[in-house]
Amino acid sequence: MDECKVIIMGFGSVGQGVANAISMKKDLIYEKTGVAVKVVAAADSSTSAISQDGLDEKLLVETKKNEGKLSAYPEFGCDTNGVDVLDAVEYDCLIEATPTNIVDAEPALSLTLKAFEQGKDVVTSNKGHLALKFREVVGAAEKAGVQFRYEASVGGAMPIINLTKETISSCKIESIKGILNGTTNYILSRMTSEGSAYEVILKESQELGIAETDPTQDVEGIDAACKTVILANSLLGIDATYSDVKVKGISDISSEAIELAKKDDYLIKLIAEVSPDNLQVSPRLVKRGSSYDVSGTLNMATVKTDLAGEISVIGLGAGSLETASAMLTDLISILKNKN
Amino acid sequence: MRIDLVLELLDVPGQLVKVLEPISGVGVNLVTVIHKRDYKNENGNVPVQLTLEGEQEDLQRLIQRFEDLGFTIIEMDGVVKKEKISTIFFGHIVDQDLRDTMDRINELDGVVIVAFDIKLNGEEKSTALINIEADVGRKQAVFDRIAEIAEEKDLLVINEV
Repeated sequence: MDECKVIIMGFGSVGQGVANAISMKKDLIYEKTGVAVKVVAAADSSTSAISQDGLDEKLLVETKKNEGKLSAYPEFGCDTNGVDVLDAVEYDCLIEATPTNIVDAEPALSLTLKAFEQGKDVVTSNKGHLALKFREVVGAAEKAGVQFRYEASVGGAMPIINLTKETISSCKIESIKGILNGTTNYILSRMTSEGSAYEVILKESQELGIAETDPTQDVEGIDAACKTVILANSLLGIDATYSDVKVKGISDISSEAIELAKKDDYLIKLIAEVSPDNLQVSPRLVKRGSSYDVSGTLNMATVKTDLAGEISVIGLGAGSLETASAMLTDLISILKNKN
Repeated sequence: MRIDLVLELLDVPGQLVKVLEPISGVGVNLVTVIHKRDYKNENGNVPVQLTLEGEQEDLQRLIQRFEDLGFTIIEMDGVVKKEKISTIFFGHIVDQDLRDTMDRINELDGVVIVAFDIKLNGEEKSTALINIEADVGRKQAVFDRIAEIAEEKDLLVINEV
């Protein structure tokens, strides 16, 4: 294979990050794999731009930013959307970056299954289908004999899935504990450093764009619980779904609790625990100066292994180019496996 | 020098041999061994008491070796080893019978609350930091009891990671 035609589904922050990252790293990917990556379609929630001869990544991002929709892309913009995009053009790999939906996992689920049916590889940043139907989706990829990678779904730029599956593949994984949500880590860090109340910091985080207008998914631990399910299934082989995780968020954390914890040299963090007897997201006490002591929007994870002891990673858990970096790494892995 | 150790063994065949094996390997002499297989402690394990003689360095290596092998040392030279547990409660801690909460933790074998620090907030929910000392191996019993109390009294618990 000397050319890889990709479709980018979902053109929000992550999708645009992927377009930008491809534009920046095309040459590098060619050097590493001998494959030229070409974006043949990109779609937002209702429109798309499609061209078998390839689209200009920068122009896609500019169009979306300036016009608000991809149908405004010169010459190749159109109203085709959803799964129809996958029928409208020849492609090799679907880069799926639609928003996470933990009610019915759509549109990610239909897009992904359709791509598998068509015999195409998929890279995703989406958590919904993985948290709700991990076995089904991964099983469908295996049955179709295609590659399916989802590093970006957990921890953004922080390598955890590929690290554990590939780099330390000699080890049995006993547990994973970590901070898998940057927004809550930011809120708790600021509550700790400033002594302010939860509501005050949440409001400021919303103004800064770190927390969303509806912060429920982050502050109630839902986002971290989805990631817990993905890690449980993919790295510990636990057949779990979202409802198996005990979830408690941070909205009840008072500044008094943080102050009392400090007295004993502890910090309060929203910790996801993945082990065969416990799938849990909850506020926990962590020792100051321990590997869990990371602040701001950073994510971290400590993997407990049988041979290598504990291995910890820290990285940016969100962000446009950061998340795209993980997806591009997955794409490169797919290309390397193919050739 | 001489040390007394009490180790906890699982009640399965071959455990005593596993304990004795490394002793001569590190150049330490076994002075006494007391092992009563039909006695079990509150964790359901069998304690074995050892008196050992050797160089301090060798004794240290042996203790490390025991720990590496997964044996729990519950007593050293007559002093019961303790684990410290810190936890935070948030909720109507006082109204939900604080005395009962503390009694139910203290009544666990080998478990005692050593400090209790509470911040009251008028009629609102209060926050408390509790420091507990527990005999080695009793941590899970403490966590289970805390979870049970929290569930019953609608308290938010923040345990150590």
